[in-house]
Amino acid sequence: MSLVKIAAKGVAVGLTLALVSVVKANEIKGKVSVQGIKSAENIAVYVDVIPDKKFDAPKDPVVVDQRKMAFVPHVVAAQQGTTVEFLNSDSVGHNVYWPSISGNKKLAHNLGTWPKGEKKPFQFNDVGVASLLCNVHPEMSGYVVVTPTPYFAVTDKDGNFEIKNIPAGKYTLKTWSEDGKPTTQAVDVSGATASVELTVKK
Amino acid sequence: MRYHTRDSSFFAVVAALVVLSSVLASAPKSSAIPAFSRKYQTSCTTCHNNYPELNDFGEAFKKNGFKFPKDDETFVKEPPVLLGSKAQKEAFPGAVYPGEIPGFLPIAFRYEGNFTLNRKQPAGFITQTGFTPRTDLFAPNTFTIISAGSFGQNLSFWIDDDISVDAANASGAMGDGWLKYSDLGHGIGLPKNALNVRFGQFELDLPFTQAKTIYLSPYDIYSQTNLGPTGTTTNNPVIFGSAQRGIEFGGTPNNGNFDWSVAVINGSNAGDAARSSKDVYVRLSQRFNLERDPESRNAIQAAGPTGPRDHTSIRLGFYYYHGKNEQNQDGTTFPGILTTVEEPFYRVGGDLRFKYRHLELFGLAMYGHDDNHLFTAGPPATIAAAPAVKFSGGFAGANYWFYPWLIGTFHYDAVNSHADFINGAPASEHQTRNRFSPGFQILARANIKIVGEYQYTFGQPYSDPVTGNTLFFRPNTFQAGIDYVF
Repeated sequence: MSLVKIAAKGVAVGLTLALVSVVKANEIKGKVSVQGIKSAENIAVYVDVIPDKKFDAPKDPVVVDQRKMAFVPHVVAAQQGTTVEFLNSDSVGHNVYWPSISGNKKLAHNLGTWPKGEKKPFQFNDVGVASLLCNVHPEMSGYVVVTPTPYFAVTDKDGNFEIKNIPAGKYTLKTWSEDGKPTTQAVDVSGATASVELTVKK
Repeated sequence: MRYHTRDSSFFAVVAALVVLSSVLASAPKSSAIPAFSRKYQTSCTTCHNNYPELNDFGEAFKKNGFKFPKDDETFVKEPPVLLGSKAQKEAFPGAVYPGEIPGFLPIAFRYEGNFTLNRKQPAGFITQTGFTPRTDLFAPNTFTIISAGSFGQNLSFWIDDDISVDAANASGAMGDGWLKYSDLGHGIGLPKNALNVRFGQFELDLPFTQAKTIYLSPYDIYSQTNLGPTGTTTNNPVIFGSAQRGIEFGGTPNNGNFDWSVAVINGSNAGDAARSSKDVYVRLSQRFNLERDPESRNAIQAAGPTGPRDHTSIRLGFYYYHGKNEQNQDGTTFPGILTTVEEPFYRVGGDLRFKYRHLELFGLAMYGHDDNHLFTAGPPATIAAAPAVKFSGGFAGANYWFYPWLIGTFHYDAVNSHADFINGAPASEHQTRNRFSPGFQILARANIKIVGEYQYTFGQPYSDPVTGNTLFFRPNTFQAGIDYVF
């Protein structure tokens, strides 16, 4: 092997390594604090629209259960185009409907009622928040937060969240919570882990 | 010895109607049970489309002894207090059989207050029947305490009492107070809830409940007593819509579609027994589920693309009440020092309820028949069979849910009373006491209601004070009120 060929291979390996380092998955770790709200749990945190970037709809569905007369989980975040399967695990009939998506009543939908053990799917193609309701049991409440990117998380009971597998870059982070106002914050994901502190106010 | 005259008989009938109206106005009315809302952490609307009327799920819940029809334990958010571990069943009879009581105090309250606007009375009518103000604020003004729940798997209970009616500290009365054992036939292989037994004071298994009616006015036919003509003995105080004391066997097999009940009762309304004989009430009804989709048909509530609702269905029913009064010769009721005579009586009828999505249609017909005797003072005093005293009538109505919170209501009540006709001048212009009652109900919240009802009543006769001619006046009324439970 000539010296030139060896050098070329070395350059190729170097370029490959450099490319790998460019697309290496990073993460955003953070904590949401709340002011005037009872809990920091169930707050959706997501990366807002990335200009000139489009994402394929996920193939795997997300399941929202109806169990003991409650939507479980209470808040689910899903990328635009995701199919959410609504399962009924109760031995009473449940209905699922949402009167709007982020206030747009044209996007209201009623899935009807179905018995125990069955699922009904719905593909959420519009970004926004669907307030899940059951017209048999008005106390039931849940939310589907449809995000424009696949980079999202929902906070745990202490307000912690992790958004994994996000490429390096500068993004706009947004929050949605049931009782608080939306929060927007810029985040620079340059290292392996970007740490973020967010505050959601009532 | 008292003798009736034609005029006094007529006024007796009118007075009886007035008394009945006041009795019914103050009759205890049960209601929705916020205690269950607390126990299951669920809204009133789970069991009521318009409280206190039950929807299909509420009916199933009630028929199952105030428990969810399936997997009740998984839905209970307030666990009960065990009165002995479940394993103590094995130690029985060496130990007290284990039971349970609600984990919280199952108490609920209801307030109802109405505004009434009466039609202006002519002078002659006032002279005859007394003055009624044009308006009356918050009357009746009723505060009710309700307790209901279950004591374990098979026992359930209900108590409701109007603890204050109209005035400060004025006592109301107990509506229902009973204990029920469900599924008595389980041990002998009968279908679930095919045989239940209930003890205490309870509203009969009426086709349409009076105690839990959604209307401001009662069903007139339920309040019809029976009064014989002058000189005869019939004076039957039984009020069909009143609570009665007794024992009731009943069941709801076939997924609640078939209902049966047989009650043995005092026949003294909510009071103590006034005679030795007991009355019997029998009711049978069958619901025909008209849902096309088999899954919806068999579910507790009907499913549909627009959400759940009551099943599209028709319920047909039959009822029969039999009793035997013991009357004094002079027409006063129940044994006294005078010679008495037994007077069997019965009430019989049928009913229909049709539900289709937001519409509900219903109707009931009743025929009443009392044996009667003619008393002659003598001497010697004699008593002989006289033509029976009869009445017929019923009601029909419709409810429509424009929205889940806005309901239009209507009911028509009619009573053709033999006693009305034969006791002097007719108590109605057209020989029928009838009333049209359109109304509205607004659920401001699931537990707060604003109600209104216009009552267009029959023409009642009175004498013109100048000419002496008989004129007719309709004492129409508009009522509006607030009603809340918590």
